[in-house]
Amino acid sequence: MEVCIDFLNWLDPDISVQILMYLEDPSDLVHASSVSRSWRDFVIANGLFKHLCLRMFPQLSRVARVMELNKCGAKEPVEVGSSYSMEWESLARDHRVYATLAQVCTSFIVEDCISEAISASSTDHYPDESIHNTLLPAYTWRASYWSSKGQSNPAVPETLIYKLKSEFCVITEINICPGQELLSSLHIYSSNSVRFRMGHTKGPNDLGSRHLGDSLPCNADDTFIWTYTSPEFPMAQEGCLQNFRLPEPVLCIGGILQIELLGRVQRNEIDGLFYICVSYVQVVGRTLSPTFCVEILEPSGTFVLKNDMQGKFYTPPSLPKNEAHEISDDQLQRGFRYWQHFVNRLEGNENAVEFIEEYESGEEEDEAEVEYTL
Amino acid sequence: MALELKSSDNKIFEVEELVAVQSETIKSLVEDGCADNVIPLPNVDSKTLELVLDWCKNHVDMKLDEEKLKEYEDKFIEVDQAVLYDLLLAANYLNIKDLLNRACQKVADMLKGKTPEQIRETLNIVNDFSPEEEEEIRKENLWAFEE
Repeated sequence: MEVCIDFLNWLDPDISVQILMYLEDPSDLVHASSVSRSWRDFVIANGLFKHLCLRMFPQLSRVARVMELNKCGAKEPVEVGSSYSMEWESLARDHRVYATLAQVCTSFIVEDCISEAISASSTDHYPDESIHNTLLPAYTWRASYWSSKGQSNPAVPETLIYKLKSEFCVITEINICPGQELLSSLHIYSSNSVRFRMGHTKGPNDLGSRHLGDSLPCNADDTFIWTYTSPEFPMAQEGCLQNFRLPEPVLCIGGILQIELLGRVQRNEIDGLFYICVSYVQVVGRTLSPTFCVEILEPSGTFVLKNDMQGKFYTPPSLPKNEAHEISDDQLQRGFRYWQHFVNRLEGNENAVEFIEEYESGEEEDEAEVEYTL
Repeated sequence: MALELKSSDNKIFEVEELVAVQSETIKSLVEDGCADNVIPLPNVDSKTLELVLDWCKNHVDMKLDEEKLKEYEDKFIEVDQAVLYDLLLAANYLNIKDLLNRACQKVADMLKGKTPEQIRETLNIVNDFSPEEEEEIRKENLWAFEE
């Protein structure tokens, strides 16, 4: 007869922790903590869900503490487990919050997480070729792109900064379509490579006075703190939507994303200068609002992770609220139509990559109206 | 150079030093100069020690062939629960990191994809939650219990 042992109560705690840390699927860890009282106590006491989340997202090492908001029920929660104490309650709270976070982060539903464009390091022919052109896929509306200013030195980089839909998002990949001159030369103004940074603003209202498409580049180092830097990805000189999948999903804490475009490859025939152009940007991932929100504690740069227990998970399709009053009606209309289109496509598609491939083929189509000035 | 190890049931195993020092515990003894005589291992029986030494020997022999080694490890760890726990305890006592990791991973594999009830059955654990407590836990983690 096979020997069956409740190993948790028999082995060294260190070994049992090591065993349970091999459970990478959050639902496995939930099931394990529902086996018996001692198992549940063990998972809570050893902070196993916190460890799991930290392994998935090292960015969480900056969490100072967690909070639960809108916890319903005036009565004390059912005391499952052994002794009740302040420390235990703190561990139990960590357990609940990180278990919910693990679930939300591993959900398969993905969407475009860009809320608005903040600024570009330089812009040619502002506002015609401003960064806000990158928010809409070219073939849906009209051929359009953001263009940097020209440089004689091809090593001069550019940056594009975007605000994401919430201050707490999981980002898996970024898609970028370089700008292409469609009238004459068919030159593609890609960059040599790209790199991504994510972070938050330094102070609470640093973006308050910024207008959409402002040609004045903000001094990024003064305004933002970057908590994640991706590896450098080579970019192809092709006028199609290129996929840059991050090595691991990343938690963007603070909702700010920067695209660094490194190295210019294309010289303009007319003025002989090197430019970089981008026609479309898509940041793919999942927003964790309103279930989760963060409060960034300055100057330590750590943050408080808050779980709103009555907040429903944001599930597409659902139209985003218009937060930025700077957006003109025209842009709002375009944005609205874009979202409708995007949402209709995404329904029924489990994988947004299918959607992206449709756009790629769309890029090759001739446009009825092409307005290109360089 | 050869070392002599004695299991809990007094069986002597002669082993190459290179193989035996896969165990950090034995390695320390050798470095401290305490390995001249027979090394007693009161926490490991002969059956388990034989398996452990087989693991160590193969890790020396197949060190450069990752694929072959993985194939060996996968086959090696296909044992029943009792032997698995014995291996785990021995690996911990003898401080053989890769064996300990593999054994822990195997135990975890026993839990993966199982409901709490299935885990209880596998490990012969009694459910000591009250119905109210169970309900509370289910509500907390509805998502994990959706089938």
